[in-house]
Amino acid sequence: MKGKILTLLCMTSLPLLSIAGTTDAATSDSYFSNALFNTLLVVIILLAVMVITVSRALKNIVSSDFFLEKMKKDKEQANNKANKVAGLLIVFSLLSVTAFSQAAPVAAVKAVASDRIGGIDQFTFYTLVVTIFLELVTLFLLFSTFKNILGASKAKAETPEVAAKPLVQSLFDKMNYTTELEDEGSILLDHDYDGIKELDNNLPPWWKYGFYLTIIVAFIYLVNFHITKTSPLQGEEYKLSMKKAEADIAEYMKTSANNVDETSVKVLTDATEVGKGKEIFLTTCSPCHGKFGEGTVGPNLTDDYWIHGGGIVDIFKTIKYGWPEKGMKSWKEDFSPIQIQQVASFIRTLKGTNPPKPKDKQGDLYVEGPAPAPSDSTAIKKDSVSVTVTAPTVAK
Amino acid sequence: MEIEKFQYDNKIVRNFAYATMLWGIVGMLVGLFAALQLVWPVLNFELPYTTFGRLRPLHTNAVIFAFVGNGIFMGVYYSLQRLLKARMFSDFLSKIHFWGWQLIIVLAAVTLVLGKTTGKEYAELEWPIDILITLIWVVFGWNMIGTIVRRRERHLYVAIWFYIATFVTVAVLHIVNSVEIPVSFWKSYSWYAGVQDALVQWWYGHNAVAFFLTTPYLGLMYYFMPKAANRPVYSYRLSIIHFWALIFLYIWAGPHHLLYTAVPDWAQSLGVAFSIMLIAPSWGGMINGLLTLRGAWDKVRDDVVLKFMVVAVTAYGMATFEGPMLSIKSVNAISHFTDWTIAHVHVGALGWNGFLTFGILYWLIPRMFRTKLYSSKLANMHFWIGTLGIILYAVPLYWAGVMQSLMWKEFTPEGQLKWQFLDTVTKMMPYYLGRAIGGTLYLTGALIMVFNLIKTIKQGDFLANEDAEAAPLVGAYKAHGTDHWHRWIERKPVQFMVLSLVVILIGGAIEIVPTFLIKSNIPTISSVKPYTPLELQGRDIYVREGCYVCHSQMVRPFRNETARYGEYSKAGEFVYDHPFQWGSKRTGPDLARVGGKYPDSWHYNHMMDPTSMSPGSIMPTYPWLLEDQIDVSSTVAKIKAMQRLGVPYPEGYSQIAAADMQKQAEQIAANLKKDGIETLPDREIVAMIAYLQKLGRDIKAAPKEEVAKLTN
Repeated sequence: MKGKILTLLCMTSLPLLSIAGTTDAATSDSYFSNALFNTLLVVIILLAVMVITVSRALKNIVSSDFFLEKMKKDKEQANNKANKVAGLLIVFSLLSVTAFSQAAPVAAVKAVASDRIGGIDQFTFYTLVVTIFLELVTLFLLFSTFKNILGASKAKAETPEVAAKPLVQSLFDKMNYTTELEDEGSILLDHDYDGIKELDNNLPPWWKYGFYLTIIVAFIYLVNFHITKTSPLQGEEYKLSMKKAEADIAEYMKTSANNVDETSVKVLTDATEVGKGKEIFLTTCSPCHGKFGEGTVGPNLTDDYWIHGGGIVDIFKTIKYGWPEKGMKSWKEDFSPIQIQQVASFIRTLKGTNPPKPKDKQGDLYVEGPAPAPSDSTAIKKDSVSVTVTAPTVAK
Repeated sequence: MEIEKFQYDNKIVRNFAYATMLWGIVGMLVGLFAALQLVWPVLNFELPYTTFGRLRPLHTNAVIFAFVGNGIFMGVYYSLQRLLKARMFSDFLSKIHFWGWQLIIVLAAVTLVLGKTTGKEYAELEWPIDILITLIWVVFGWNMIGTIVRRRERHLYVAIWFYIATFVTVAVLHIVNSVEIPVSFWKSYSWYAGVQDALVQWWYGHNAVAFFLTTPYLGLMYYFMPKAANRPVYSYRLSIIHFWALIFLYIWAGPHHLLYTAVPDWAQSLGVAFSIMLIAPSWGGMINGLLTLRGAWDKVRDDVVLKFMVVAVTAYGMATFEGPMLSIKSVNAISHFTDWTIAHVHVGALGWNGFLTFGILYWLIPRMFRTKLYSSKLANMHFWIGTLGIILYAVPLYWAGVMQSLMWKEFTPEGQLKWQFLDTVTKMMPYYLGRAIGGTLYLTGALIMVFNLIKTIKQGDFLANEDAEAAPLVGAYKAHGTDHWHRWIERKPVQFMVLSLVVILIGGAIEIVPTFLIKSNIPTISSVKPYTPLELQGRDIYVREGCYVCHSQMVRPFRNETARYGEYSKAGEFVYDHPFQWGSKRTGPDLARVGGKYPDSWHYNHMMDPTSMSPGSIMPTYPWLLEDQIDVSSTVAKIKAMQRLGVPYPEGYSQIAAADMQKQAEQIAANLKKDGIETLPDREIVAMIAYLQKLGRDIKAAPKEEVAKLTN
């Protein structure tokens, strides 16, 4: 038992020292002329000496006759205590070791960062600070062990045995600890404000520990985003989400038939397809182009004059990318390529429908012509074939 | 020691109680009407004075400053005298305070309806009223401090700590946020611009909730709840800890209203971290209130006053837990700009402020009128109708908020936005109707209360001056036994005030000052130009009509927002925005990038009748913009004011501004003519179109590398 404690203690403090030593050697030996670095190092060494001294003293006490005497009296309880302490220390040392084994590879990355604190790079600085913190915790644990071992026999003998409650129940009671209503008189303060009196109840433990917890969480939050930069801030987060979306869409498109673009768009003649296009036209396009495509805010779509061309590819592109400087927005974020193809196909059916109150012609006379680029040739050819036959579906 | 005889002033309490009831009903009525306008836009009546954009600020101001404000003063004037064993310092000051505050409310109501507004939420009132508020607030403070100085009770009770913190902090918030430069008697520009204005405004806005709706009401709770329950306060120590923690931490949380905006990341993170830490201090108040009822829960069953108070404190606990949750970035990404926020604040307003006020009124009025409540049956009915009203109000809006947000964010697998903005609005209608029904119930309850209290008053006999007696404070304080360390400051009102001032200044200073001093917090963009005179006039119309009430101007860095609106907003885009117009709710779509999206004629038609361009839109019509002339005479003063605020117009530009304005207006009129719309270039609609077409255009002209740098 006693040996175990000591080894554990050495395990906790030594790796820290060795890691601190290696990192500063690795990063830069000029640190030894840095005042902050030296101060921190001295503090670490002093604390380490204290840890060793105290743990030796503890070892001596544990092995002394005086203690063995006491142990006999209430062996059981003391054993329990010691076991608890040992358990704590095991967890603690494991934590510290794993923490540093994780931190080590990060060091290489972080060393590049130019952010420095008091002339020391961030990783070294935090290593030193965390080391000091861990040493303080170790010291605290050692001292409390001291206190527990010395006081072990004193208190326990007198207290009567209380039937042990289940853990959850006892935790619940602890967290809700309060003075009973009947004993209220004992904590009634002598305050009296217009007849209002005040009790001196403890802070409800669950509230108090909850408060501590939120403070710790808030601290971790800030460290996470701004010191270790583990989680992305909004700009970075946005870029990541865009990348992911791009990848997802690409993945989907591989298997999807919905993969029309300006190189492959063609006029649809199927009535249901054109009907879907008409539906979108009536809700989305008609405010500007009129119910019958006669044009209001936007240009007339039923005549032979087109500002940006009247072929299926032209119309598809106009809808997809828009002409923002002329007030036609891009619809590619709102409608899928298939839907744009449906709308464009429907618009082609409007030609020559002579709706009431048509807007004056705008743009140039558009005549179906041969394809400008070879890649478009198939699409255009199909245009000229299909366009004449479709009957105007929008009338009325 | 000689016992002194004196009298408590009940008249001032009664007057504030009457005002509370009157403005409560008015504020709720306006709120209900605005809620109905969302369902039936025809209720906007095509009149400038009755549009949603003007009525919503009227509702919020009426409820916060008129209803709750008078409620605070009612409770403070009653409890302060009794907790200090002294009559109010000066009846004359009390009177000035009362009538001054009512004058402010009337002026506010008139000016808001007339469109005189600064365009900053919950601080809409123009500069003459701001000055009046400051003066009246000083009168209130003077009267309160005077009473404290003349007290006959050595120590200050926790309720008074809260009153002091309220007085100090509201003064600081109001003065700092209202710094503005007058252009004319009813028009001013915020001294701050863009990101800075946003930070100051939400530091103010958030802490208006904290120090106008929360701390004074906690003070009232600490007096009226133990009184009504006849029980000692649960824990004196809890009072101390939660009071100081609350006022220190609250001040920091303002930036949580600006998450994912162009506000620097570090300020946002501080806002989140401090909001999380705020849970326990807020709950401290709730716990101390509810545990005070330990041993008195049997009374709660029978006593309607306690019933109201229990629900109030519970609602407070729910709202103050929800608040920090809404401050967490991933939750805020869903909730912000939706009706979730509206539901959240109404749990606080209807539950906490409303119900506590009702409880206090039911307790106070019979006491001051030396009678019993006219009908406890009616009061019970009020309680149940009101509670049901809150639930029916909040639940549909929570549902609507989450649903709309998720619709905004939804993409098809091909990568297109699944819903047009308008689709998501029309889906809201049943929920808006549900909310209006909840509001109707709540208002009905309040009307029942007013009837009940009027009947009580009629049957009672008012005691204007209540006799009391107490020994004066003589000599230095001698403690009996050992005192808690905090007792020292409870004896020292001046030190108390100074310490609370220091405590509340820390957070605000750390968050706001650096954005003024450190340039890297707001990287400038070379292509962002000041507004042309016509655009500036248009912007003032935008502010006047309260467009910011329903439209944000802040594209957040989310995929769905950049797909819907365009590149996300950068801090440097807003450097000439006095005031900023980021908004806090999207009943309509964001407008930060609307410039160039539609032709001029689209905007003309849309303002005349939104449904012509967007079938199903619930936006009000603005026919008067087509008729009314631009106030050209104000242009010189406006340009000069902007120059004094540091907007870089060339020297002497104010003299040629009118000519520039004419030129741009004619251009727009010509554009409209091309689409068959005849309009004179001097109409307000032309200025409005100019402003809308300017929005978000400058950054598009910025060099690519510059934008790329900002995106990092």
